Amino acid sequence: MKALRWMMLTAVLLAIVAACAPAPTPTPTPQPVVTLRYSNWHLAEAHWEKTIKAAIPLFEKENPNIKVSLEVVSYAEKEAKYATEIQAGAGPDLIHLAGYSIRNFVESGYLYDITPFVNKEPPGFLDQWYPHLVDLFKYQGKLYGLPSDYMAMILAYNKKLFQEVGLDPNKPPKTWDEFLTYAKKLTRDRKGSGKIDAWGFGTVGAIDPGWELRFSPVLLSHGATYLTPDNKCSALNTPEAKEAFKFWVGLVTDAKVVPPGVTTQGAGAVRTQFANELIAMKIGSGWTAPILPTINKDFNIAENLGAAPMPVKAGKTLAKTTTAWYSGWMINKNTKYPEQAWKLLKWLTSKESDQRWFDGARVLSARRDVSGDPEKGIKPYQAIADDKFAQVISAELKNAQINPQLKEWPQIADTVNKEVQNAFTGNKTADAALKDAHDRINIILAPYRKAGETCPSY
Amino acid sequence: MTIKMKRLSFGSGYRAPAWREPLSKAEITGYAFILPCMVLMVVVFGIPAFAAIANSFTPIWSEVKTFTFANYLRLQQDKQFWESLRVTLIFVAGSVALHLALGLGVALALNIDVPGKWLFRIIAILPWTVPDVITGIVWRYMYDPTAGIINYFLDRIGGPNPYIEWLGRPHFALPSVIIADVWRGYPFVMLILLAGLQAIPQELYEAARVDGATAWQEFRHITIPGLSRMFMIALALDTIWQFRRFGLVYNMTQGGPGNATEILPLAIYNQYFKFFNFEYASAMAVVLAVIMLIISIPYIRLVAGRTE
Repeated sequence: MKALRWMMLTAVLLAIVAACAPAPTPTPTPQPVVTLRYSNWHLAEAHWEKTIKAAIPLFEKENPNIKVSLEVVSYAEKEAKYATEIQAGAGPDLIHLAGYSIRNFVESGYLYDITPFVNKEPPGFLDQWYPHLVDLFKYQGKLYGLPSDYMAMILAYNKKLFQEVGLDPNKPPKTWDEFLTYAKKLTRDRKGSGKIDAWGFGTVGAIDPGWELRFSPVLLSHGATYLTPDNKCSALNTPEAKEAFKFWVGLVTDAKVVPPGVTTQGAGAVRTQFANELIAMKIGSGWTAPILPTINKDFNIAENLGAAPMPVKAGKTLAKTTTAWYSGWMINKNTKYPEQAWKLLKWLTSKESDQRWFDGARVLSARRDVSGDPEKGIKPYQAIADDKFAQVISAELKNAQINPQLKEWPQIADTVNKEVQNAFTGNKTADAALKDAHDRINIILAPYRKAGETCPSY
Repeated sequence: MTIKMKRLSFGSGYRAPAWREPLSKAEITGYAFILPCMVLMVVVFGIPAFAAIANSFTPIWSEVKTFTFANYLRLQQDKQFWESLRVTLIFVAGSVALHLALGLGVALALNIDVPGKWLFRIIAILPWTVPDVITGIVWRYMYDPTAGIINYFLDRIGGPNPYIEWLGRPHFALPSVIIADVWRGYPFVMLILLAGLQAIPQELYEAARVDGATAWQEFRHITIPGLSRMFMIALALDTIWQFRRFGLVYNMTQGGPGNATEILPLAIYNQYFKFFNFEYASAMAVVLAVIMLIISIPYIRLVAGRTE
């Protein structure tokens, strides 16, 4: 009995001690780790791959429950790949597209509506980007992505080749007439091979999504546009468009300042020609400088690479003289992890990330707080301000126009691309080729016109 | 074969329609064997084909899925479609004719009994093992006007123009693409014809020689008749394959310059994947499928005739 009493007393004491002891800390339930699929054509370029692979671990460190799986895609195939996968209910969580096809994706219903996420951000969140770029991702009152790269197309030239023919490397051509004179002088038998082996100018002439970026500045700098302001008709019937088209075709057919085989040359082939000093001038942008040493390690960018605004038609004062390249990040509508995908999208397009992309790949940003906005008194990122090549691109943004943003744009660009090829090869005269492009674009844009509404003939 | 003959026999006297007869055990077993294949065919080919046909009768870029013939009417007026069809026919006719000619020549050469003929046979088959995408890329580099090996050799032997634009000129581009395709595609025909050659009884040749036949007479009266069935099979199969060719042309020219090499599969790809005109692309695909079905009829009849 005595023993039982002791036992009960001990039990009561133990219960009191236990009650007074601090409550055990609840073990936090581990959050599941999700893996986001990140797809980017830049991963196919060595300098970009290095930059991205160095940056992504920083995001993963900030977000320990998110892993990022990097998926490379070719620039030319990305639209086909994404469209196929998304239609099948799959695809990468985050996709990167260029302006060429963004409207196609926005209007096809392939993208996740990020409006609710943006609405939860602090006021003025979107003000960090150039407003006209953010608008390109809006459709029916919803936002489907955020812009990332934003650059003007400029004239890149080889100072060493300029010097070889007695041209002042610090005086690049300012007008198309000067450009032609320079190009003719630079087209020559450089190696003493008994044939022409160096050309003044090289450009994309293949059927290629990058083609439009090289032809558009020529059109704009002659005072022409592809479409009428209401985007309902072709504007290739104007005297300015005809003049620009004939000038462009004449570089190949008459002046012969472009290497043979232009209709098979894509952007990569032209970069190779430039890096190997086969051509002295090309139209490029921020990507030009870092990519050249990856093709030819002996190409001295600091000494030999020059950058200049696009030449213009002499005697014309124009508001827009070049075209702008832009790209954006979007979330696949099929993503299983929209919250996490938004976190990554926001991080990829943040100020710090865009500064990082410039440091590694020399691309300018669609953010005003990175690329600068003189009108708002916003200074650019210091590395951009210090880079001579980037300065030209940045300064040209005010003269740059974005190509028409229609879901039909890839088809319109393809039409003009093919007709330029027809004119380059002599299959059609420049005039006949431009007329056919004009007529076909009007057929493509027919759904935008009301019954009885017609377009001016060529 | 037994099952088919039983079903198709039309002897004297009345027979109940085949579908009313109870299936025998052997027939049930036979159907059970082909069932997985049939299910696979329906899932992999049937459903997408049905979806494509349905899609082709739907308005382009429309959220409301109504029935329309608009895509087919547009096809009728689309100059580029007819140009693509014309280019496709030239491409198919040219490449198939050369596949057969080269395939027959090589098959005859490889049928000669020489030491180490197995090595020659392997070498002859090698191009067929290269994916057509790779073939396209390799030949594109070979045709490059400034850096390609073809112009290099022509220049070395004193050709008049050091920079011939093989793929950059409309009148050169399609023949250049066909040549690349012939290199890659002839072994398929060659293998079929070689099998056919080996099936011709040697006794026929021996008898002909005893009768004093010349080599040409042997070829004309024994080889050609003996190969006719295999030749028809090779012709039909290769034609169907060539109508479907895509990767090689896509990687060589993207259909250019202009529309000079834009074969129908490439035009369909552009409409679908570049322009997102899914419904219009489906209509083009249906037309291509109909053309291929018509072309495959002789092949089906040939194979069916052989089975019976």
